[in-house]
Amino acid sequence: MKKLESKKRYVLPGDFITTAPLRLQDNVVLEGKRVISTTIGLSDVSADSVRVISLNGIYMPKIDDLVIGTIQSIFGNSWFADINSCYQGMLLGQDVFGRGSYPTTSEMKERLDKGDIIFARIANSDRQREPLISIADKNLGKIDSGELIKIPPTKIPRLIGKHGSMIQTIEASTNATITVGQNGFIVVSCDETNGLLKALAAIRMIDEQAHLVDLTDKVKKMLEFNGV
Amino acid sequence: MANLSIIDKLKRSKILDLLQEGKRIDDRALDEPRPLVIDTGVIPHANGSARARLGDTEVVSGIKVQPDKPFPDMGDKGIFICTAEILPLAHPSAETGPPQPNVIEIARVVDRGIRESGMIDLSQMVLQKDKSVIGVFADNVVTDHDGNLFDACSYAAVAAIITSKIPKWEMKDDKPVLIEDQASDTPITTIPISVTMGLIGEFIIVDPNLDEWECLDARITITTNSDGNIVALQKGGSDGFSLEQLVKCAELSIAIGKKIRDIIKQATEGSK
Amino acid sequence: MGGRETDVVLLDENGIRSDGRKVNETRKVTIKVGVLKNADGSAYIEFGGNKILAGVFGPRDVHPKHMSNPDTGILRVRYHMEPFSVSERKNPAPSRREIEISKVLKEALEPAVILEKFPRTAIDVYLEVLQADGGTRCAALDAASVALADAGIPMRDMVCSCAAGKAADALILDVNNEEDQAGQADMPIGYMPNLGKITLLQLDGVLTTDEFKKCIELGIEGCKQVYEIQKNALREKYFSSGDNN
Repeated sequence: MKKLESKKRYVLPGDFITTAPLRLQDNVVLEGKRVISTTIGLSDVSADSVRVISLNGIYMPKIDDLVIGTIQSIFGNSWFADINSCYQGMLLGQDVFGRGSYPTTSEMKERLDKGDIIFARIANSDRQREPLISIADKNLGKIDSGELIKIPPTKIPRLIGKHGSMIQTIEASTNATITVGQNGFIVVSCDETNGLLKALAAIRMIDEQAHLVDLTDKVKKMLEFNGV
Repeated sequence: MANLSIIDKLKRSKILDLLQEGKRIDDRALDEPRPLVIDTGVIPHANGSARARLGDTEVVSGIKVQPDKPFPDMGDKGIFICTAEILPLAHPSAETGPPQPNVIEIARVVDRGIRESGMIDLSQMVLQKDKSVIGVFADNVVTDHDGNLFDACSYAAVAAIITSKIPKWEMKDDKPVLIEDQASDTPITTIPISVTMGLIGEFIIVDPNLDEWECLDARITITTNSDGNIVALQKGGSDGFSLEQLVKCAELSIAIGKKIRDIIKQATEGSK
Repeated sequence: MGGRETDVVLLDENGIRSDGRKVNETRKVTIKVGVLKNADGSAYIEFGGNKILAGVFGPRDVHPKHMSNPDTGILRVRYHMEPFSVSERKNPAPSRREIEISKVLKEALEPAVILEKFPRTAIDVYLEVLQADGGTRCAALDAASVALADAGIPMRDMVCSCAAGKAADALILDVNNEEDQAGQADMPIGYMPNLGKITLLQLDGVLTTDEFKKCIELGIEGCKQVYEIQKNALREKYFSSGDNN
């Protein structure tokens, strides 16, 4: 078994974690005084909170997450996007055309049409309706080119690496631009086919071997081997 | 052309671009089927069974043999019936409920391919002429759907039939009575192999996977027997084939059919 | 329930059952996780001669929309037997028995699944019996629980399941097909092992109140044994390095 940092333990649904009165975060519930894991993952107990880092499961929208979505439909004054979740992301026409605007369907289609890919932020997530997304910020908006691929959202942190180190390694070595959504969608664009294929291969490798300790070295080796 | 969803539009153009370069999205050649793995005897309590894995498509076929009444106009022949079902766990869009027309088509095409080839000698499956015959039921269930269910179901059913055991019944007072421990091999005369080809633009591709299947303009399933003769045909899809294309498909089905027949023969050798 | 005439000796003078087991022994159980490519979660179980495939999709959109619940996700379970799974070929259409078992299994899983987390969605559990050999609903429940965990559906506890019963006047664990036909009682049990709650309970046959209590205790022991196998199957897929996930 992979050697874990201290205080992290492999858990299954129903497993007991602690009775300490800590703040409950992701993937845990309280049964009486006992904190229980609700998924398969790594329990993470800190000084004031407890959570389980899940090893599987779909993406659940969280406020301020940066996600990639594909436009599926236009209804009323909103676009609806597939954000790799059981809920669609709702992008208000007002977010793009300005507050108080009432764009027509054809005006909306011209800006963003079915199949278009966007980089967006989760703006609001309440239980009563689909999560709101926004592309109002500078580095958000339509992604014009590139390959759209998907990996399990639980593997995204590994793909990004500590302080972005892993993703930067891949970009530097391949000259590709990689946009990573926390929801598991990724867009890779590169002028050279070779760089594109290498970048895709690196991402696939991380997807398949995210659990290995020496993954960073393996990825580096693979990128170097295929030549610059 | 069939109704495509949004992602499919991008997929179809990507698939066509690759085909112009002689490539497919999973790196196969245009005339290359996916790897086929056959396991037999997976349901030991049934009279015969097999699981076929054609790429990521998986089908389990179970054979049940039991006495039955003959068809009204065929009192001197046993019964052979094929069914197919796409289990709801096979694909997110698979539905529960009575079989849809596309699934019924699969079952009937697989059925005809096996029946018209004369694979099972049904004349040896009679207990009492016009009264009681042996019925062979091949029930195919798709457990994972990645396209080309026609061939996957057919390969599973054929392998299951080859390795089936037919129990022995004797007529006593006009009723069939089972004689224990005297089962025999199924009387096989030939091994029918179906090969399905799809048409995208002007390109013919063998054994389309699900992504390709959803972009096909037309498709054809051709079943050949051990002598290399064509025993069944089914064209599907909203577009048409030219005569040249059909001749090409026929040639492909014989050549590829031979290779698949060898795979199935090898997989079913041990269990006889 | 049976009480049918049989030549088979259900329990001999040494306390050995017709298939060689002792009264408190379950049949052999093996579970494999993640056996399907398309399903979000899946498991395959062999429990004695039972062979059952479980596939889970969800949480996902509900169609038709009026079936969805604005406050919580809904759980849908379909238990289905293949035509070749039983000795006399079965019609593919769902029987009343399959419909009832589907409902009972849904209600055995609902206490465990945290449905409130996914309003307006459905979690679909499909259970396909490829080969039946007595106790299919218990084996199906064991596989369902593992498939839900494999799909990443949050649960308060796993659900494990095993049947206990009575044959030849003795209380037995894990009733097989012959014992079901010719025995005196068959009681399938579904159990959440950490919360200590029984979520599936049915009885076919006759038991005194004392036998009932002892039978449940025996059944829970069996459930706990299967729980260990469920856990090991999940650990093998998720916690061992060097294997592809």
